[in-house]
Amino acid sequence: MQYWKDSQEAVTAITRLFESVSHDPELGESMKKVNQLILFDYSESGPGCAIWVDTRNGKYEFGAGDPPGAPDLIMSLSADDAHLSWSNKLNPVMAITRKKIRVKGSATGLLKLAPKLKKVAVIYEQVLKELGWEDKIVK
Amino acid sequence: MHGNTGKIINIDLSAGLISIETLPEEWYRLYIGGSGLAAKIFLERGNFALEPLAPEAMLIFMNGPFAGLKLSGASRGSVAGCSPLTGHWGDSSCGGYFAPELRYCGFDGLVVTGRSIKPSLIHIEGDSVALLPADEYWGLGTEETTRLLKGRFGKESRTMTIGPAGENGVKFANIIHEGQNAAGRAGFGALMGSKNLKALVVKAQEKKLAPADPEGCETLRQELNGRINEALASSVLRENGTAANLIGGVYSGDVPVKNWSSNFWEEAAEALNGTTLTEKYLTRRTGCRYCGIACKRIVEVKEGPFAVSEGGGPEYETIVAFGTLMGSLDLAATCKAGRLCNDFGMDTISCGATIAWAMEAFERGDLTCEETDGRELNWGDMATVLDVLLPAIVRKEEKLGALLAEGSRAAAGRLGKGFAYTAQSKGLEAPMHDPRGGGYGLALSYAVSARGACHVADPMLFVEMGARYYPEIGFDYVLTPQSEENKAASAAVSVALGAIENSACFCQFADAEVTIPDWLALFKTVAGYEWDAEEFLKAGRRVFYLKRIINSRYGLTGQDDDLTLRMRAPGSGGEAQDAFFDLEKMKACFYELMKIDPESGLPTKAALADSGMFDELARLPAQ
Repeated sequence: MQYWKDSQEAVTAITRLFESVSHDPELGESMKKVNQLILFDYSESGPGCAIWVDTRNGKYEFGAGDPPGAPDLIMSLSADDAHLSWSNKLNPVMAITRKKIRVKGSATGLLKLAPKLKKVAVIYEQVLKELGWEDKIVK
Repeated sequence: MHGNTGKIINIDLSAGLISIETLPEEWYRLYIGGSGLAAKIFLERGNFALEPLAPEAMLIFMNGPFAGLKLSGASRGSVAGCSPLTGHWGDSSCGGYFAPELRYCGFDGLVVTGRSIKPSLIHIEGDSVALLPADEYWGLGTEETTRLLKGRFGKESRTMTIGPAGENGVKFANIIHEGQNAAGRAGFGALMGSKNLKALVVKAQEKKLAPADPEGCETLRQELNGRINEALASSVLRENGTAANLIGGVYSGDVPVKNWSSNFWEEAAEALNGTTLTEKYLTRRTGCRYCGIACKRIVEVKEGPFAVSEGGGPEYETIVAFGTLMGSLDLAATCKAGRLCNDFGMDTISCGATIAWAMEAFERGDLTCEETDGRELNWGDMATVLDVLLPAIVRKEEKLGALLAEGSRAAAGRLGKGFAYTAQSKGLEAPMHDPRGGGYGLALSYAVSARGACHVADPMLFVEMGARYYPEIGFDYVLTPQSEENKAASAAVSVALGAIENSACFCQFADAEVTIPDWLALFKTVAGYEWDAEEFLKAGRRVFYLKRIINSRYGLTGQDDDLTLRMRAPGSGGEAQDAFFDLEKMKACFYELMKIDPESGLPTKAALADSGMFDELARLPAQ
């Protein structure tokens, strides 16, 4: 992995991101509108390296490892590409076309989220700073 | 011959003559089929001094080699000729069921000339072709006409009809297939109407095809169908239609607002998105024959001022043209607008764009109550648009209806004002993708397209968003939409691929999953062509060149490869704020790569020789 020492680092950063997003009124609301259980599968980067977010029926829950049910959408990508993606440095359409991201399930929620990536990236940068990982910030 | 049948039907409506002709096999190999083969026929037979609606004018319907193959994306056909809207080369692609049915009858296309004394229809059943009276259908909308034709000829018959707009010579009248699918652009409904030709009806008796390698073709067909139908983009289109990603388009600045005066209106992302259409009005999904993508919608608006019974729903272009472009966020109004335009037989893009232009002209005082027959044209007033303007345009009624029925360029010309804020190229109103947000390469693509501003002339829109790449031919750019970098080089490949798509009559959505090796295998197993990638791209370039040669015969030059000032103004709002592209720079580079003479706009002799276009080379004027 180019950006992570181990898979736990990726899990730490990205779960912290989801927590921060929940405190942002606009993004929190946008996430709830997705109304799906989404699994971000980074397992090719290491064992247990997967994060889920559940926004079904007005919920906003997230965690690492196995999701609490069958996901509506699974996005499989490397933890490095996840880092680039949350940093808004990876064109998701291009990444999907070039098979860097593999998507299984309904992408409706994904399309609703895509325009918000810019704002998510700002929060992600803040999260990395809070974790003392400025060196991981992609310029 | 394999794939294609080699046979076309020539019909002279003036003389009532029908003949079957076998075209030279070489023409197919050089120009593939669809709009490419239509262009070859047009160049060989065309009289370029004719007015677009002259009786002798040609109206061409042409299939591609893969029609009838039971392959997702392959059931499209082309309609072509001199565009009544623009006055030069035009072609229009139509999905649905017509192309496979015509192929099963043993024909690749029809070339219709002349003018029938009375309303008529062309009836093809098996290999039998007849001209029949159609007086009882004249004046009817396309929905009723389709219903009556199916009642008369059988529900398995496939129809292409015009509505009152085509009968009345509205310049952006279209041809409607099965009441919902449109050969939408360039005004061929007006050409069909000028010939007193109300409809084509086709019904096959057996499904016979002759691919070069039946076994190889079948294996490939199954593999491609699986890949196309299971692709992420296909599932998105199936779920929420062609407006599925309108939300993304809004934020990137791709969705034009109020006659392109802006390209950002955040509320539209939710109000007009495909998911909203699904939740509020969708009753079922449908698609072209043999296509597993099923991107088309059936909708019903049960109540409210724009209530409309269950029927064909709006595509992305209609939603934006009758939505943000007119300053409206009323999705129900777009559903009704689409249905009305289809029934009248009018292109929703040109119609919507022309009305939006008139709204701005009225706001500016360039169009006054004197020219509008006392009506006010206000942004977002969809009741006036649907209840008053559309019927007035169809009937070319009074001053305003007659003015707008000419399209935006001609209307501005007649008014003597407002040309700068038309959004068109070569007289064809631009589709609902704004290059300031969608990508600067799209601006180049619009400008150099032979028929005028068009998002399906080539796949540049998808190339720029990152949805297409072709590593097999070294086409592996990572493009930034708001940049000119690598756009000319991308466009040079894109126009060749687009020419292939439109000549093979293949859907752009399905083509996203087809690689260059797949294309080569398709041509090999179906048509028997042993092409490599370079020969394949050469075929695309030939078609691109051919259409430019035709336009040159109509007096077009490199200067006509242009966009209006409105389309070239800096972007306003959102991520495309102040976006500004240098079209001249991209164009110069594109011409060089494509070996096009900047002044004449014609391919150079070297380009024609490289492409094997020796007939055209011999006739090329001195440069």
